[in-house]
Amino acid sequence: MNMLEASNRADVSEKPPPPNWILQHPTYQQMKSLEVEDSAQVHVAFLVYMDLTEVRQWKEVSCVKSPELQLVLLEGREKEGAPIQTILPLPAHRSLSHKSIRQVLDRGFPMLLCAVASDSTLVYQRMTDGLVTPDPPAGPFQDLGRRQHRKRRQKH
Amino acid sequence: MEEPPPRTAATSVCDSSPLAVSLCDSAPLLWRVGDLRSVRAQGLVGALLGALPRTPRQNVRLGRPLLLLPEEERLLTERHVTPPTAPSTDNQDGGVELQVQQYQEAQQRSYEEQSVLALEDRKSALLRAMTSSPTESGDESLQRRLVALESSFSFPRSAMAVQLSTARAGLSYCADARDFLRADWPIRAQDEPRRAARYQVFRDLRGRGFYLTSAGKFGGDFLVYPGDPLRFHAHFIAVCVSLDESLSLLDILAVSRLGSNVKKTVLLCSPGTDGRVAYTSLQWSGMV
Repeated sequence: MNMLEASNRADVSEKPPPPNWILQHPTYQQMKSLEVEDSAQVHVAFLVYMDLTEVRQWKEVSCVKSPELQLVLLEGREKEGAPIQTILPLPAHRSLSHKSIRQVLDRGFPMLLCAVASDSTLVYQRMTDGLVTPDPPAGPFQDLGRRQHRKRRQKH
Repeated sequence: MEEPPPRTAATSVCDSSPLAVSLCDSAPLLWRVGDLRSVRAQGLVGALLGALPRTPRQNVRLGRPLLLLPEEERLLTERHVTPPTAPSTDNQDGGVELQVQQYQEAQQRSYEEQSVLALEDRKSALLRAMTSSPTESGDESLQRRLVALESSFSFPRSAMAVQLSTARAGLSYCADARDFLRADWPIRAQDEPRRAARYQVFRDLRGRGFYLTSAGKFGGDFLVYPGDPLRFHAHFIAVCVSLDESLSLLDILAVSRLGSNVKKTVLLCSPGTDGRVAYTSLQWSGMV
């Protein structure tokens, strides 16, 4: 195939999307139908949806309304057969109460909070009920012995 | 530097001697080694504030006094049923007079001992002088001079050596809680809702066997250790909030990121309505 044909084919398959493509997206319209008044949160939920499905390749991602919080929540599996997780998408400048966090945790699934900045940078944070011991520091450990003390002495 | 005079109160322990908590302004301090030991045995850590006389110019290892967290002080007073009581003032006045009398008696004894020793000293000096010189003086004149010395010798009071103590043995404070200062006691009660939340969380975690210290270095309320801090690193940074308090998302992210950098889990703690405390662990997701 010569260069001209290839570039023609490229033109045809990669037309620029219309400026309001988000509004026309079926998943966005599905989220809109949940009738959550907070439109900024719905927009953010959609951005997280796109990140999970297109970038991270999560499976079975769906949206659901939280009646207590009046927000859109996402549910999905990281991989085929993995357990379902709840994701709470929020704009980064918002505030949150511990009570709302508990309400999402009460759904019974592992929870991720996703904060979305105005430039659509996404940050995920895990929230778990109870006291989760942190991972211990990774080895291998070398016993410094007296070297450290000797170094300090030499300084003086 | 002028410091407000230390006031003391006795927090009584059911089984052993009372803990003497000294108040410097509003900071509760413990000075006696026995008190520090008994407080540590109850699982309360506190923070040492004082300089060690032999290694003064460093702050890695500090000495007494021990500063208690407000939550630790409150836990101690709650565990011991009787509220702090002032010792009777009559007893205290008698104590001071007795001490003065004892001091004067000791001084008198010391004077008497010293005058005896001084006389002995003079006699032996005289003997040496007499026997060393080769002149004619016989035993008679020696005896005469010794007798004369004894009868005329007087040890002047001004020549007496007096020992001054520069340190009080044992750091034992005189428990002179004055009654008019006692009126300040209830004012120290803390009434902010966040402090109530802090105390509930402190008591719950302590009850589960964790050791807690202040977490100023990590931007939280408490550092939670699975055992004595001398043996373990902290596992958690506890942040105490009430359930309805509005938290900025950026603050939650910041404290969680800090926690993951120092290998500790951040714990959001809120006392619930049923007396139990809700804990939520925040972990950095690591999803890049």
